[in-house]
Amino acid sequence: MAKKVGVIRFLGTNCDFDILKWVQNKGQNSEFIWHEDQFNTQDFEALILPGGFSYGDYLRCGALAARSPVMKSVNEFAKQGKPVLGICNGFQILCEAGLLPGALIRNDSLRFKDEWAQLRVVNQKSYFGEKLNPDQKIQLPIAHGDGRFYADAETFKKIQDQNCVWLKYEKNPNGSMADIAGVTNAQGNVFGLMPHPERAQFSWMGSTDGDFFL
Amino acid sequence: MRTFEEKLKFYRLTSEEYQKAKNSLGRDLLDIEWPLFSALWSEHCSYKSSKIHLRKFSYRNQNTPNLEGENAGVVDLGFGERIAFKMESHNHPSFIEPVQGAATGVGGILRDIFTMGARPIALANYLCFGQESAPRMDDLQKGVVHGISMYGNCVGVPTITGQTQYQSQYNQNILVNAMAVGYFAPEQKMARARAGGVGNWVVYVGAKTGRDGVHGASMASASFDEDTESKKPNVQIGDPYYEKLLIEACLEVLSKDLVVAMQDMGAAGLTSSSFEMASHGQVGLEIDLQKVPLRDPSMTPEEILLSESQERMLLICRPEHFPEIQKIFSRWNLDSTCLGTVREKRQVVLKWGSETLTTIDPDLIVEKAPRYERPYEKWVSAQQVASPSEVNWNLFNTTAKARPLNWIYNQYDQRVGTRTARDCADPIGMVQLDHSKRGLAVAVGCRADLMKMDARLGALDAIYYPSFQMALSGAKVMAVTDCLNFGNPQKVRIMSEFVASVEALAQAAEELDAPVISGNVSFYNETLEQNIISTPATGLVGLRADVENLIPSRFVNPFESVILVKYAWAATNAFWAHQKNQSARFYLNAEAKPAEFILSCVGLERKIFEKSISVSSLRSVSLGGVATTVQKMSDQGIVFKAHPQTVEADLYKDELYQFVLTTSNEQETIEFLQDYFSEMSPFLSIQVVGQTTQGA
Repeated sequence: MAKKVGVIRFLGTNCDFDILKWVQNKGQNSEFIWHEDQFNTQDFEALILPGGFSYGDYLRCGALAARSPVMKSVNEFAKQGKPVLGICNGFQILCEAGLLPGALIRNDSLRFKDEWAQLRVVNQKSYFGEKLNPDQKIQLPIAHGDGRFYADAETFKKIQDQNCVWLKYEKNPNGSMADIAGVTNAQGNVFGLMPHPERAQFSWMGSTDGDFFL
Repeated sequence: MRTFEEKLKFYRLTSEEYQKAKNSLGRDLLDIEWPLFSALWSEHCSYKSSKIHLRKFSYRNQNTPNLEGENAGVVDLGFGERIAFKMESHNHPSFIEPVQGAATGVGGILRDIFTMGARPIALANYLCFGQESAPRMDDLQKGVVHGISMYGNCVGVPTITGQTQYQSQYNQNILVNAMAVGYFAPEQKMARARAGGVGNWVVYVGAKTGRDGVHGASMASASFDEDTESKKPNVQIGDPYYEKLLIEACLEVLSKDLVVAMQDMGAAGLTSSSFEMASHGQVGLEIDLQKVPLRDPSMTPEEILLSESQERMLLICRPEHFPEIQKIFSRWNLDSTCLGTVREKRQVVLKWGSETLTTIDPDLIVEKAPRYERPYEKWVSAQQVASPSEVNWNLFNTTAKARPLNWIYNQYDQRVGTRTARDCADPIGMVQLDHSKRGLAVAVGCRADLMKMDARLGALDAIYYPSFQMALSGAKVMAVTDCLNFGNPQKVRIMSEFVASVEALAQAAEELDAPVISGNVSFYNETLEQNIISTPATGLVGLRADVENLIPSRFVNPFESVILVKYAWAATNAFWAHQKNQSARFYLNAEAKPAEFILSCVGLERKIFEKSISVSSLRSVSLGGVATTVQKMSDQGIVFKAHPQTVEADLYKDELYQFVLTTSNEQETIEFLQDYFSEMSPFLSIQVVGQTTQGA
């Protein structure tokens, strides 16, 4: 049976259809999961939290979404060691939910930034990261206003000790601590990154490096 | 209590207009009717000074059905795919409050698109600012860009192209024009804006009504004085998060066929949406204003009627469909309330609970609005026309640089939707169409430097140039929308430029078989007697067979020949005269047929690919000449070096139209170009002007 990937839709998520199409283009099944619903963790092989502006970024990016009913199931899913990927706002939500370490704060320019970024793979992880090799360089676009990774000294030490740094920017676009563009949890099954792999599927988009993630 | 004269002034009606309203009603206006006439007879809503001239845009082809009275124009692209698109100004609000003014401009144009049932897939903008040293200009430009970025990014529609200009004539009246493009997949139905079905319900959906934007339409129809600060309450406040929810909810009820008609509450809010829907549908409506969801319960009927609070829609549905509509909207966290019903008798009845405020024939306000044939003069090209030898090319210097605009475009999400094949860094934008996988090109046009010199030439160029840019990317222009930004139409000079521009746009549209199918007029861009440069901005859509193998618009390889292809129609020093603050001159070759040249360019790129001609980059020459263009093409340290034989001053000439390309095989490429454009001689010239090199 083909794999089934659950794509979580919050109010204000705007990359929902992009992710659905991306997963389907890669020959896998995908299905939306509504923010108010809880689901059976057995029904999905992996989950993706797409980008966007959940709840209009009110309070803090991702803060309201992290407290919606669906997150109870997401938590359970992650605790079972099954793969979860958060992209952009999805990454922010996973940090707010405590499933990933650190936080994402306003870019140092205080502006939204859309540009192509060169990234370096730091650690290879299973599932969403298994096609990536350490030290590999990839090209993905970023588009965010709050993408600056931050962690307090204690958390940062833990992130490094547990090899949680997943991707780094070659040229830091937003003031992220240690050029961090993506992290995983200590178990290596929850992934978060600010760049958008789904926007690098075909050469006409400018890069095909998104292929490494699915 | 206001006196009669004070009321005329407050509601911006002339005494003749009052008489006309009185005669049609057969009585004096009731208090509640003053704001209705004020709003719907404003220039902004009624097009009273422009309507008779806009009929010149009547040209249509088989791809462009006539949709009088709908929110935007629609183009049939074949394969069952259609797009809806339109451009609109938000100049006055943006000058008063740049962030919200620009943001709500984007919100408004998006609603015009999805109210028809089309999913918005691309945004573009056209901005004109004053000199950087002008008062507030730094805040204005940063605020406008922030407003567009905040709104467009959050609703999840990519901004894929734009144009930004700086001229002193916009110091006290900036231009903020936004364009939106929506997509209908095959089988997807188009929603109409005409009410119908006696007994059907009139339903209000979206955000609650507040006091923001009251009298916004009549404000946008007047010139500015010194006091812009006091007009801040006339500016609406937008919330892109609500808009995003509204898009999803509206598209869902439309796709389930639950709605008879739908209309955005834009300029003049509930007044215009209800009266226009009734008038277009040739029916009546009964509406209870007490049922309108309010942010502040103390709002008066007049404020409710004129509020321009954002993210609200009015829809008509069958009563039995209302529960399901309500369920869908509540799933998206939005209110939906029934305000009244559709009536057979062609009257709009406004109620306040059980009290009837007024009963009025919608046609009196919508269809019978005043029409003015403002005085104008026949357009004669100004004395600036010169022979080539008279044009003073020596004005040119070699130090000026193209102004970097990355700080603007980098703030827009250009790729959300995963359709973007060409972004703001390229001369035109392009998105992939979901079903057929073809490329939809989007471009905006109108170069103020040319308009300043000659309104006719400038308006022709407003369609020619973006069509040319599209053609060089292999896309044929399909249709045009416009946003006609002008000064005070009661001044003969301004009206003459308006009429000349409309006629030139209509001519170019017909020559290129790209009808002007939607648009917007913004008059009274005037502050303290100072009028802006007449600026007929355009938005174009074009079609390409796919999105593959697009030739880059920036240098790719060093040590290649740079070839200039020129079609001699017009030559001007407009751009440089602007830099030097001198009056511009131009030379026009009356025999040349620029539209034919542009159409011949459409197949060029495909032919280069088919014949494997080694062309690595290609770009249209912008104002500022070849010198400015090659600067824009510089990339990854690869720069332009002029040929020893090239006369440096020639590189700065503004000639319409030219393009440059780079090749590793000079001989083969020149022969190919000569052959390809053989029918274009004697107006065509092809020359090697330099080469690419590795910069320091």
